[in-house]
Amino acid sequence: MAEETTNTEKKPLVSGFLKSTQLMELDACTRCQECMKWCPTYDVYTDRPEITPMYKIARMRELMGSQHGLRAKLFGQKELNEDEVNQFTDDTYMCTTCGVCGSVCESGINTVELWEAIRPNLVVRGNGPWGKQSFFPLLLGKGRNPYQAKQEDRLCFVPDDAEVLEAASIAYFPGCTAAFRQQTLGVATVRILNALDIPFCMLGEDEWCCASALVRTGQRDVMRDHANHNVDAMKDRGVETVLYACAGCIRTASIDWPRWYEGYIPYKNVPLAVYLREKIDNGEVEWKHSLGKKLTFHDPCHSGRHLMHTVGRDWAFEAPRDVYAAFPGAEYVEMPRSRELQRCCGAGGGVKAGVPDLALGCAEARVRDGEDVGADMMSSTCPFCRRNIMDGRNSSGSKMAFADQVEIMAVLMGLDVTIPPNPYMEFQEWDDVLGDRICIKPEDVVPVKPDDIEGD
Amino acid sequence: MAFYTLGLTFSIMIALTVAVLAIWIYGLYFNFKKWGMGSTGYQDELRNSFWLFIATWIHEAFKDGIWVFIRTLILDVFLLRRTLRRSPVRWVMHMTMFYGFLTLATLSGLGMFMDVIEHFNILGLAEGAEMVKHLSQLPFDLFGYLLLFGATIAVLRRLILKDVRDGTSAYDAVLIGGVFLITITGFYAEWLRGNAFLVGDAFANSIYAPHFSLIHTILALALFAVILPWSKYLHIIAAPLTILANRGGE
Repeated sequence: MAEETTNTEKKPLVSGFLKSTQLMELDACTRCQECMKWCPTYDVYTDRPEITPMYKIARMRELMGSQHGLRAKLFGQKELNEDEVNQFTDDTYMCTTCGVCGSVCESGINTVELWEAIRPNLVVRGNGPWGKQSFFPLLLGKGRNPYQAKQEDRLCFVPDDAEVLEAASIAYFPGCTAAFRQQTLGVATVRILNALDIPFCMLGEDEWCCASALVRTGQRDVMRDHANHNVDAMKDRGVETVLYACAGCIRTASIDWPRWYEGYIPYKNVPLAVYLREKIDNGEVEWKHSLGKKLTFHDPCHSGRHLMHTVGRDWAFEAPRDVYAAFPGAEYVEMPRSRELQRCCGAGGGVKAGVPDLALGCAEARVRDGEDVGADMMSSTCPFCRRNIMDGRNSSGSKMAFADQVEIMAVLMGLDVTIPPNPYMEFQEWDDVLGDRICIKPEDVVPVKPDDIEGD
Repeated sequence: MAFYTLGLTFSIMIALTVAVLAIWIYGLYFNFKKWGMGSTGYQDELRNSFWLFIATWIHEAFKDGIWVFIRTLILDVFLLRRTLRRSPVRWVMHMTMFYGFLTLATLSGLGMFMDVIEHFNILGLAEGAEMVKHLSQLPFDLFGYLLLFGATIAVLRRLILKDVRDGTSAYDAVLIGGVFLITITGFYAEWLRGNAFLVGDAFANSIYAPHFSLIHTILALALFAVILPWSKYLHIIAAPLTILANRGGE
């Protein structure tokens, strides 16, 4: 349950954060129930319709009505029923903010922004956040990352023979998970950029967490510091293009940081898949191995649905698919729920930390989606999706393998993705099939044949 | 001539209409002001201003330029593209109800205007006003059937489809039932008058016709003025405004 009521009494329901057009959105719901058909959390908690967007909007509208409706105007505001507010808080935090409800909403309600604007009001009242989510501001404010790792270890995953510059026009922003928990992804990215002769820099100690978890859970206090710091660090290095292999980071850097940063941001944010597609199309990538797998792609919400309005559908959905299509020997298969109608893995919106059972249930459903199309490997461009889907895969007993797109690409290019020894080796989130500290088992790849490469 | 009964007169009806319009306009003002309680941007303070809502809405709706606004207006507001993508049946339902309701409301307004002209013989146009009212009979009937068609789908959908039925609240039932009732009473009133499209004078009854007409008028005015701005039906106003503010959600 959310926090008890003692410290919330008399506090207003809305204390800022909600735009006037968002208050209008509460009245725009036609109750068509379309969102209920698609909500990934309702698919798991089928006995809790109140967690679906339609019900949450109705409840928020009722709470608003009790404070600012006609009755309140004529006869005075009723005291907020704290049980109802707590219930609403529970329902609001049982959401991964994946945004599929917004994609299917007949009224065009921007639900992701709506949930993320409602949550800070609940935090200010003392109702939110949920469970372990309340540690995020403390962890980020103190250590600048959610894993309690040392900032000076930010580049500990970079192999000694890799070339990373102090400053360059291109920067790679790995994010906390690739730096401390899924270092193969970081190594693979660095290796690929080196192999393609792309001079790039990284922020190292100057890289602070993108603070996505804070925005998603409505805890905006530390957010400004992180946004300002990271943007300034990029500017100091003269960066013109920032590459991201983390969906959560690029979402936050593209949409949230500019809202906080009071100044001109001179660089552009580019998903690594977009950059790699360009290199593949230009014939700059040399494949050494072939992937003998039936592969499917899980669209991350953050770099897909969330970004499609900002960067367009091609960058959001087609670029990663084009990269997979170029993998030699890979048999690509699409899941029925894909692109803007994709099923969320369940990790976002603070649900992984706050309601782990719900996150696991969503992940298991996504694994079943992959199995239904006969895929024996699922891949994505989001470390957080990967972590959760691997958990779902393990708990459901599925044999499906999971690897990040960049890791697969590095292996197919014949690059060494071995992580150098570092203090975080024991925390690595390995997929079972990646057991030998390599991305894909040796038997999964074979030397590439000319026929494997499209267009050759 | 207008059709009055139970002591109602032309003057009373005009006064009622003005009152209804006033309540409706105040309802819109009230809601706009309520929405204006929000902020103008991300992480901004509360403002509580009617004009601020208008300004914020204009800013959002025209953020991507006039052409995006026009495209959204045509494709997403007038043609309900987002609904069509999800469910052709719901699209037919919404389109018929939307255009049926809108046209009937417009024709009703026109009818009332013609009544005024006819009553006071303004500029000597009483005869012309009578003719306009006569000419509007057919579109009145046609769009009435359109609304009836949509309202019937809405009711049947809630009754037949299990998922939809399970998610239906009393709120939905009362309001969809209300629309259906208004539509049906409108048809009864028209049929009892004896000059309806398709059925002619088969149901003509001069005694009950005024009563049904009155019931229909009261229900319609109640829906329009008393319920629409203060209930779920506000989505008729808020949904198009939201679609425009979010540039179609695309």
